[in-house]
Amino acid sequence: MDAAAEVGCRLRKLLLLGSFCAGLLPGTTWYITVAGLGGEPEYETRFKNLATELDKSVRATPDVKVTTLSGPEATKVRIEAAIDEAVKGAKADDVLVVTLIGHGTFDGVDYKFNIPGPDLTAAELAGKLEFVPSRRQVVINTTSASGASIEPLRRDFRAVITATRAGTEKNATVFGRFVVEAFRDPAADTDKNEAVSALEAFQYADKKTTAFYETQKRLATEHPLLEDTGKGTGVRAPAPDNGQGLLARQLPLLKFGSLQQAAKSPAKQALLAQREAIEGQIDKLKYEKAAMPAEDYRKALGKLLLQLAQVQEEIDQ
Amino acid sequence: MRLLALGLLVMSAAWAQDCRSLHRRGKLAEARACHNRMAQSGNALQQAEAFWYMNNADGANNFFRAAVKAQPKNPEPRVQWGRFYLERNKREDAAALFQEALGVQPDYPPALIGMALVAAGSFDAKSVEFAEQALKKDPKAYEAHEVLARFAIEDGNPTEAAVQADKALAISPEAIDALMIRATIDWMEGKPGTEWIDRLNKVNPAHAEGYALAAHIFVINRRYEEGIKLYRKAMELNPDYLPARSELGVNLMRLGEEDEAKPMLEAVYEAGFRDAATVNTLKLMDSYKNFVTIKKGKIILRLDKKEADLLRPYFERELERAVDVFEKKYELVLDRPVQLEVYPNHEDFAVRTMGLPGLGALGVTFGNVVAMDSPSGRKPGTFHWASTLWHELSHVYALAATKHRVPRWFTEGLAVHEETAVDPEWGDRLDPGAIRAVKDKKLLPIATLDKGFTRPSYPNQVIVSYFQAGKICDYIEGKWGWQTLLAMLRDFGTGAGTPEVVEKHLKIKPEEFDKEFLAWLEKSTESQVKGFEEWTKRLRAMSADVKAKNWDKVIPEAEALGKIYPDYVEAGSPYEILADAQLEKKNTAGAIAALSGYAKAGGRYPATLKKLAKLLDEAGQPEQAARALERINFIYPVQDEEMHRLQGELWLKVGKTDKAIREFQASVFSKPIDAATSYYNLARAYRAAGQLDQARDNLVSALEAAPSFRPAQKLLLELSK
Repeated sequence: MDAAAEVGCRLRKLLLLGSFCAGLLPGTTWYITVAGLGGEPEYETRFKNLATELDKSVRATPDVKVTTLSGPEATKVRIEAAIDEAVKGAKADDVLVVTLIGHGTFDGVDYKFNIPGPDLTAAELAGKLEFVPSRRQVVINTTSASGASIEPLRRDFRAVITATRAGTEKNATVFGRFVVEAFRDPAADTDKNEAVSALEAFQYADKKTTAFYETQKRLATEHPLLEDTGKGTGVRAPAPDNGQGLLARQLPLLKFGSLQQAAKSPAKQALLAQREAIEGQIDKLKYEKAAMPAEDYRKALGKLLLQLAQVQEEIDQ
Repeated sequence: MRLLALGLLVMSAAWAQDCRSLHRRGKLAEARACHNRMAQSGNALQQAEAFWYMNNADGANNFFRAAVKAQPKNPEPRVQWGRFYLERNKREDAAALFQEALGVQPDYPPALIGMALVAAGSFDAKSVEFAEQALKKDPKAYEAHEVLARFAIEDGNPTEAAVQADKALAISPEAIDALMIRATIDWMEGKPGTEWIDRLNKVNPAHAEGYALAAHIFVINRRYEEGIKLYRKAMELNPDYLPARSELGVNLMRLGEEDEAKPMLEAVYEAGFRDAATVNTLKLMDSYKNFVTIKKGKIILRLDKKEADLLRPYFERELERAVDVFEKKYELVLDRPVQLEVYPNHEDFAVRTMGLPGLGALGVTFGNVVAMDSPSGRKPGTFHWASTLWHELSHVYALAATKHRVPRWFTEGLAVHEETAVDPEWGDRLDPGAIRAVKDKKLLPIATLDKGFTRPSYPNQVIVSYFQAGKICDYIEGKWGWQTLLAMLRDFGTGAGTPEVVEKHLKIKPEEFDKEFLAWLEKSTESQVKGFEEWTKRLRAMSADVKAKNWDKVIPEAEALGKIYPDYVEAGSPYEILADAQLEKKNTAGAIAALSGYAKAGGRYPATLKKLAKLLDEAGQPEQAARALERINFIYPVQDEEMHRLQGELWLKVGKTDKAIREFQASVFSKPIDAATSYYNLARAYRAAGQLDQARDNLVSALEAAPSFRPAQKLLLELSK
């Protein structure tokens, strides 16, 4: 199967999951956030603060179940218990978001997340997550050496995001700081659909991480990756040509705004369908962009965007 | 058998002498044939020399290696090998071989001369020590006098250069480099030099190496075009002399003549001459495909594609403004456009300055071509690019006005002076190094100030010399007026020296000038110089109060320290400490006053300026807040989309729509994460400016990125009614 055909096939699979608009996806979002051992007081505080900040951001949104563990609570037993809760309570349409903040290690065989008591390996985490009924899952591993966790964690309908490209990138990372920032910065919602998708959060944090090292004139010691095909090694720039990012684009990490309410109103269903049709035409036009004269493209796009704005105005009334 | 071997050795030594002699007499065809024969001689040292002559670097290296192995107790192969490396600008390798030779035979004069040449290559005064040591051992080593002459002329001391050249000629009337140095001294002074060239031609009518030496002297005196002519002459005399071809290519590149330089350097490289300058210049020219060139009226701007859209408006405006101002100030219209090249990679910029003494930490000027670091190549707050641009542009005018004959101190002094003339907040402040130099009386007399740039005698002297030269120009302008500075500049163009120009235009002897200037400088820097030690101690002591959050003690102390040394705006300055303390005491006005003082004193850290802008905005002073952020445009306009966005909002708030458009455009060109919002903001600014077509166009761009972006949809509907 060539790359384009494979992407097409994945696209169809994803369509089965529901709407293209990540903001409108139904279901509850289950968040499990863990801040691991800092090793030094400075890191201990930093990791805990990041977990607290993330906790605050996600609790402010509707339809969520949140477990946040840090300090002495962040043990393997407690993490497994939190996952067990999702195993029991989550439904197939729900989304599971697991975020690991802290230090990780890789001994050439196993990736380990450093926590009080026995560390948690990526394989152990993958094993537990298999039992969660939510088909759509995101694991955001922001630790050092996290690149080594891609292989054990990847599977169909799961996006894995890591701070490093390999287990050999062992320095403390800054990627996690920007992931957490993506949960509260409206700029992270780049398509303005009132939801931050896993892809948007990844791209936000990746760009900020790059800018951090460039501004500091330091050699980058972390290179974030995203894997959402279930069989890749992860990429820095997800795009249709490498087949990565399709699932992550559909996976809402955070939903906010009135789109959710509109989706629930039966009176607006026709307008929503009309809007979706125009959005489809816009997507189609964008794919045809390269083959069109620039002026024709802009004219056609402007017309469709105006129609979309008019429909949205009616929905908002 | 031993006799036969000895006979062969003597014969091949004589052979080598013959080949060298033919070359030295400019009989190049015969020399080539001689070397071709010598390459078959079976004597490794002679073969090495022959391969060197034939530009076969690998062959030469192999035979030199064999010669050193065969004659471990003979220093000569090592010295010859070192000279081979020296010609290829591999100074470290050359020095190692000369040192090895000295290990074999201490005080071996040719090895000492080799070391003198190595040191001269990096403008190191040790060159003189080595040459004198060689002469002590062998008073007839005329080449040592030639090295001393070369060092003196590079040092801007033609009188001493002539003395040393004459000493070499007294030992050997055929000392061809001495003859060339004599000719170069004349040429530098605008004289024909015929006497020396006639004598040279009798000995060697094809002395390409000599013309390359003369060219080098012109280049290090920033007289690039004359240097290029001399390199061309060297090539004409001996097209096989690759070092001159390489230098010609490098200097053509410096003047922006890449079309000629590139194939020339490629040919040199292919011929096996691969010194760092050749290789790095080729790499640099390869990277030009990543640049865009903007030609507009009197300016040419070359920017890296990655940042061209973002930087262009800022650089274009300053470049055009500087040209306009300097045309009037220097009463001079350039005969060609000024070309400014901006390098985000400092290493690329560094390639342009390779082999030149005391040049270009941040920017460098080659005739009408200026190369400088991009703000993205430096840490935020460490580099004021606009100040550097005006500094370098001033050189373009000073060099053009004097046909490149301006002394180093004067052109640097003018350039430093221009930085603060355009804006008192720009330019460098009085730093601790300069304070110590004033205090310890380490400033140089005006007549020898050039040495502070080209032959610094202590680590910080180049920086101190910039400061001193700038202050001298400030002083002259203050006391005698701009027209006097301009008249001095013009006189330097006639070849007049500093003492003569000072006496003519300031009507005092240079020594008297030094006294008056120092008195003025000491008075104007008195509180900072006298108070510096106390300031240092008290600043250190204050940090304990800062840690203890003893703000009532910190506030008066920080205020007092700011008065003692107001020019100190580096990290942890009293201004910033005072602002933080005032904020702790809920005194926003006090914090604004402290940070405004920081900005006015030339503080450059974007984070601190952003803090000032935030406080001003919160205090209901949006225009002042916008101006605080606008300062960052001249320091670090890159990798900070947020700063442009905030600035755009502030300008929009106060109705300065042209500036709002500029900043929102910068936000778009910063390739933001949230492109939709950036386009939407730009559309708002265009709408406020009444440019509705542009507003609509940018709304389409915003909605292309985010079709559901409701504020953009609303504005589009509004504009479509």
